Amino acid sequence: MSNKTALPMGLGRTPALLLLVLASLVALPLILPSATLATEILIFALAALACNLLLGYTGLLSFGQGIFFGVGAYGAALLMIHLKWGMLGALFGAAVFGAFLALLVGALAIRRTGIYFVMLTLAFSQMAYFLAYTLSGWTGGDNGLLDVPRPNIEIAGHVLVDLADPRHFYVFVAVLFLLIFAGALRVIRSPFGSTLLAIRENETRAAAIGYDTRHFKILVFMLSGAITGIAGALYAMLLHFAPLSNIDLMMSENILIMTIVGGTGSLFGSLLGAGAIVVLGDVLSELWPRWLMLLGAILILVVVFMRGGLWGGLAALGKRLLASRTADDKAPAKTKETL
Amino acid sequence: MSDYLLETRNLELAYGPFKAVAGVDLKVRAGTIHTVIGPNGAGKTSLFHCLTGERQATAGKILFNDRDIIRKPSHGRVALGMARSFQLTSLFQNLSVRENLRLAAQGRDGLGALNFWRSVEHKRSHWNTADQVLERLKLTARAETLAGELSHGQQRVLEVGMSICAKPTLLMLDEPTSGMGIDDIPVMTDLISDLGRDHTVLLIEHNMSIVMSISQRITVMSHGQILVEGTPEQVRNDERVRTAYLGEAA
Ligand SMILES: Nc1ncnc2c1ncn2[C@@H]1O[C@H](COP(=O)(O)OP(=O)(O)O)[C@@H](O)[C@H]1O
Ligand SMILES: [Mg+2]
Repeated sequence: MSNKTALPMGLGRTPALLLLVLASLVALPLILPSATLATEILIFALAALACNLLLGYTGLLSFGQGIFFGVGAYGAALLMIHLKWGMLGALFGAAVFGAFLALLVGALAIRRTGIYFVMLTLAFSQMAYFLAYTLSGWTGGDNGLLDVPRPNIEIAGHVLVDLADPRHFYVFVAVLFLLIFAGALRVIRSPFGSTLLAIRENETRAAAIGYDTRHFKILVFMLSGAITGIAGALYAMLLHFAPLSNIDLMMSENILIMTIVGGTGSLFGSLLGAGAIVVLGDVLSELWPRWLMLLGAILILVVVFMRGGLWGGLAALGKRLLASRTADDKAPAKTKETL
Repeated sequence: MSDYLLETRNLELAYGPFKAVAGVDLKVRAGTIHTVIGPNGAGKTSLFHCLTGERQATAGKILFNDRDIIRKPSHGRVALGMARSFQLTSLFQNLSVRENLRLAAQGRDGLGALNFWRSVEHKRSHWNTADQVLERLKLTARAETLAGELSHGQQRVLEVGMSICAKPTLLMLDEPTSGMGIDDIPVMTDLISDLGRDHTVLLIEHNMSIVMSISQRITVMSHGQILVEGTPEQVRNDERVRTAYLGEAA
């Protein structure tokens, strides 16, 4: 990427961005009514961030994210229930399952581009749902998988961190989020990540200058699948339950909506998007059972009036405030640059 | 080792029953600027598609450095030292000019670019290549501009510049002046003859004054086949060329 960024206060630079994330992680449980709600936001922010790697950075609209989320949830739950795996092992397993499923889906879907690619991910999503429904011996079918444990972090029988306390679990998820966020940031600023942007911009040209674009797309799919799998596993642990709706098409849709509302092409946007949608859902579902209609309206508003999503809106606002404070506002703002 | 960097034997590209390239034996000598001309629909772009790997030739051979590359996909040909520019400008519109060039330099790494744990800043050589090419294109002042915000003429120059970043031995340029204003054309002419000093250039071009002034060798195509091949002088005076091509243009 170009080493100049047009974002206010140097937020395009890694340390500043990570500080912003850290501040948000500290603030979330303080401003929200419960640690559980804050945890839920981070879990969906992970899923949205993974979706963003595909949609925002590679230009791939995938309706398959629910598959990886669901597989992560079931996979981790089964590993913990049947094989007595611990917390970290179960999360690792979920990442591997997610990546593997993404390899299967990705390898086939990227043989087509545009609308056919989207249709293939949809078809896979449907298949995965019915598979989970049918394999009720493993997944609990319609009833979901019950009694999912949330193991403590232990070393040789000593409890290092007790995760039964929702506040402790929040801190654990927050640390994980920060690590994955930093990792994803590193990836998008690597040769690999810069090539993803090239593929998003112009795949024909990318191939003409020497990139075998299929390899890049499969790898980013696997990365996205792994992160989404971890998110699914954490969600099952949060709820102590892995419902069938985890692997439903609705889940893919929700993840996509959070990504788009937050702003594609900005990792921090995914946290904003997940935060907005989860909080809204929490507040509105109490007041009005048909709140999902409102979600539709919000999506329409963002797509029509705020092309950069919440992040784009905030960045533009910040820039305007800065510009009004400094008298000499030359250099017109560049909004198309991505972090 | 033959004197020819690129050689096709009986090359053919069929779109259904129609042969856009119908048995072409083209020989491009290393170190020359070799131009392919011909009336619209003669099959020049189709020939290019076969050479770049954009389309799979339906018959024949393509020898590059004496090696048959007909089955190589387009990205694989870059690593062998082939590069191309597009007749219709094809850039990374929302990335900076410098980043466009850096990506093109990085492309030669092939799967090495799958590296996801290092920063792009790490590979100084790609940035250096990008900066050198910027100088050569006289676009240094616009380095941080988005490619899509350049003037049309500058976009055409960048389009050509992208193809030299991977340091290819063979440069294939498809109508680099296409759509350019009359004022910009000398810039492009100078650029191409400058590039001809370091690369073998295979050029498709419509503009006759460019063709005649910078080519060492000219191949005239018509109806998917080679009509005439020779020096600019020979081609200019060839009766068949006049009727097939120059006659039409006049
Ligand atoms: N994709 C295609 N399908 C069918 N016919 C094509 C296709 N592309 C080009 N042609 C035909 O092939 C012939 C050669 O086209 P082209 O190679 O573009 O010529 P040139 O570049 O010399 O103007 C033309 O008659 C054109 O109509
Ligand atoms: Mg043409």
